Amino acid sequence: MKSRKRTMFVAAAAVLCLVLLAAIAGCAPKEPANGGDETTEIKIGMVGPLSGDAAAYGINILRAAEIAIEEANASGELGDITLKIISEDTEGDWAKAANAFTKLIDVDGVSVIIGGVLSSESEAGSDIVKDAAIPTISPSSTSVDLTKGNPYLFRNCLSDEVQAVQLAEFAVEELGMGKFAILFTKNDYGESLRDAFKNKAEELAEVVAVESFMDKDNDFKAQITKIKEKNPDCLYIAGYYTEAAKIAQQAQQAGMDIQLLGADGLCNVVFLEVGEDAVEGTYATSGFYPDDPMTAVQDFVKAYKDKHGEEPDMFAAQGYDAARIVIEAIKSKGTTSEQIREGIAATADFPGITGKTSLDEEGDTIKDVLILKVENGKFVRVR
Amino acid sequence: MIGPYYLQLLILIGINTIMATSLNLILGYTGQLSIGHAAFMSLGAYGSALVTLHFGFPFLVSLLCGALFAAFFGIIIGLPTLRLKGDYLAIATLGLGEIVRIVFLNLELTGGAVGLRGIPKKTTLLWVVLAVLFTVFILSRIIRSRIGRAFIAIREDETAADSMGINSTYYKTLCFGVGAFFAGLGGGLFAHYMRYLNPNSFGFMRSIEHLCMVVLGGLGNMWGAFIGATILTVTPELLRTVADLRLLIYGAVLVLMMRVRPQGLLGQPLRNGIPLLGRFFQQARPKL
Amino acid sequence: MFIQQLINGLILGSTYALIALGYTMVYGIIELINFAHGEIYMFGAFVGLILVTVFKVPFILAFLLAMAAGALLGITVEYLAYRPLRQSSRLAALISAIGASIFLSNLALLIMGAQPYTFPSPFDATVYRTSLFVISKVEIIVLASSILLMIALTLFVQRTKVGKAMRATAQDKDTASLMGININRIITITFAIGSALGAAAGVMVGVYFRTVTPTMGLMPGLKGFVAAVIGGIGNIPGAMFGGIALGIAEVMGAAYISSQYRDAVAFALLIIVLLLKPSGLLGRTAQEKV
Repeated sequence: MKSRKRTMFVAAAAVLCLVLLAAIAGCAPKEPANGGDETTEIKIGMVGPLSGDAAAYGINILRAAEIAIEEANASGELGDITLKIISEDTEGDWAKAANAFTKLIDVDGVSVIIGGVLSSESEAGSDIVKDAAIPTISPSSTSVDLTKGNPYLFRNCLSDEVQAVQLAEFAVEELGMGKFAILFTKNDYGESLRDAFKNKAEELAEVVAVESFMDKDNDFKAQITKIKEKNPDCLYIAGYYTEAAKIAQQAQQAGMDIQLLGADGLCNVVFLEVGEDAVEGTYATSGFYPDDPMTAVQDFVKAYKDKHGEEPDMFAAQGYDAARIVIEAIKSKGTTSEQIREGIAATADFPGITGKTSLDEEGDTIKDVLILKVENGKFVRVR
Repeated sequence: MIGPYYLQLLILIGINTIMATSLNLILGYTGQLSIGHAAFMSLGAYGSALVTLHFGFPFLVSLLCGALFAAFFGIIIGLPTLRLKGDYLAIATLGLGEIVRIVFLNLELTGGAVGLRGIPKKTTLLWVVLAVLFTVFILSRIIRSRIGRAFIAIREDETAADSMGINSTYYKTLCFGVGAFFAGLGGGLFAHYMRYLNPNSFGFMRSIEHLCMVVLGGLGNMWGAFIGATILTVTPELLRTVADLRLLIYGAVLVLMMRVRPQGLLGQPLRNGIPLLGRFFQQARPKL
Repeated sequence: MFIQQLINGLILGSTYALIALGYTMVYGIIELINFAHGEIYMFGAFVGLILVTVFKVPFILAFLLAMAAGALLGITVEYLAYRPLRQSSRLAALISAIGASIFLSNLALLIMGAQPYTFPSPFDATVYRTSLFVISKVEIIVLASSILLMIALTLFVQRTKVGKAMRATAQDKDTASLMGININRIITITFAIGSALGAAAGVMVGVYFRTVTPTMGLMPGLKGFVAAVIGGIGNIPGAMFGGIALGIAEVMGAAYISSQYRDAVAFALLIIVLLLKPSGLLGRTAQEKV
């Protein structure tokens, strides 16, 4: 009796599993063959963290990309083609990003993907999009050599190398700094910024301390106390805005009178809100300046604010540009994945809201770096 | 015939089945609560990937190297901690898992926080199916042997088992070694499927996921591990249709499933009112 | 520098202690690793934040209301996710707790969004400087409040009738219920107090570190639990002690070993303590019942 009951349970559970599998198969819309004949709707995939620790980055990019696509659909610039964005969450986990990429390509039949957001997500997706020949443009994955050797992977964010080198030069030449300390976040973004900045700073001046912290850490006093001992005149923060603002606060409290420097990860209002007067005078490299008088920038800032009630940050701006690059590619070359790929690869002097963007033969970005300074609780452009 | 997405899901179900069955040996059969299974997986994944990248060994050999590497560390790490019981063991394995992750995050050899790239894709569905069958076969042989009976005796009552002449430390170490070996095998398959590794995916949330698979399927049941792995691999994917609400529902599903069937889908019902593992957990009871 | 690092560790440790207090209360009674505690901490921080910024409630009142709200949430979670599993294996309850934790943090994400909120500080930014170390007013308040809460809690458990009932329940539920103690009521009260403490920790840490996000509970929740285990789980002064030990270990690890291995040092301390004294630094070793 007992064993019969068990067998029944095994059978029932096995059936449940099959049903679950069948259910996902059933959810899949039956795709028409991805032929070249008249498709009026082009699906654009978006992969990024929409939940979990990194959700803020993914959500901002998605919102901005949605705005770009809505605008394109409304303006009729693509004729009878309409665009549709389909987003998939990664929870900030690259292994789950692999599922998201495959699902978008296989089940939804997207022609082009915007994403991943974190470098690890793009790394995990790199081979998948290459195998499937789906062009993919990442708005924010900065890890070194990401796009190398993959003709389907592009990015439109500032390279860490360029940002760090330009800022190191600026600090030495314009600000007359001589003793640097570096505090970096222990992920791909922080590490590659650290490497680039450290090399340049050592070449031009002296680096006295290099310390690290984990993403989403709250307490940096131990590192700050250690750095303070070394008496640097300048601290380069290679990380994101929330942590950077806390570092600024805690450094100020520790009685450090120090020039703060940072990269594009700092450019968010949260940095100003949390940091208050502790972040005054901070210099940061950026591709995006929300107070830029350029009409494209002002239109975007207004559209974003109207829709979401907050000022767009660097992530959002890059997400918008990524979507715009895709739209331009469709406009100039055509609607198939291969044509979109060609279009993206040919991007040159694209007038984005994060500056004039060109892509090199490796799919990496060439664009100007702005240097912003925090003055009276606002980012101001100095170069 | 079968799209890449479903193929990928099947492969992940297979890998997760290996992870869950091997954890089931530790948790379900031997009664040792381990929340560090992802660490063994990462050891196997990095071990086999590095061997493939640096020495170009055949796939099977790399997999074996990774699995042995994980087993070796499983024993080394496991030996001292196995003196601990219940929740204390759980929290110690959790700590060890985090330490392993942080070490990988800082090693040059493994690419640090940037991750390890360019691992060749060698895992296919066939390999995974073979590996699952191999795992299930070996583990069920072990369970039905003298060793397995010793494991179960330790689960039921360690003190009694000791007094019956079962060397519980030896068997617990053996159990961790075997469990880590198969977790390493799963990790190796994972690495050669994903083609990229980054320590951040092997944190304690992943260990918790494995734990959920085992408990949901039913402790001490081979089929249970498979079913738990299937459900928890497929459900989050299925929930992609509800977008924003995905993880919200996922969390609720976990709570509801435990309410409806607390012993897991195929778990053994309670005996004499003593929950499975209940006796074991009564030791080391803190006082307020 | 050493003294300054010691102070840094002490303050960080007292934030862990605040979280660990609630953890240890709940564990002491039902031996459940209450994974949702980190989310209650997050919830408390959000309630405090909304009261202060939207409703302009004075800080102390907001703090108390957040504690009340946290208690309410704790009772609800216990009622929905843990109580039905009281008679089942503790692993089932653990999974249920994990489910509740995932549910709550994603609910917060859905409602509040992912962007961090800034907690306006109710305290002025006074910093006291001596030749050896620097300490700010808010740091002193964090430290003092964790000590005060610990003392209050110890007195409550040791001196009141309910506290006595709690200790009896922790020791042996069946016997306690034979003695006329309403076990369900005691467990509810424990969850209420533990969760109120979690919410209090959320507000304090929110004020101290200035930001509140839906995922803020995960890591501190874990560290809080580790602190409770180091100190001897179920032991109230132990939670305080464990929190501070953990904080100091982390800071010293970052200062004298490497900031890259900061968390690893904390977890290594945990394992060493467990190996040397499995019941925690202040825990009493329970006699094994055969």
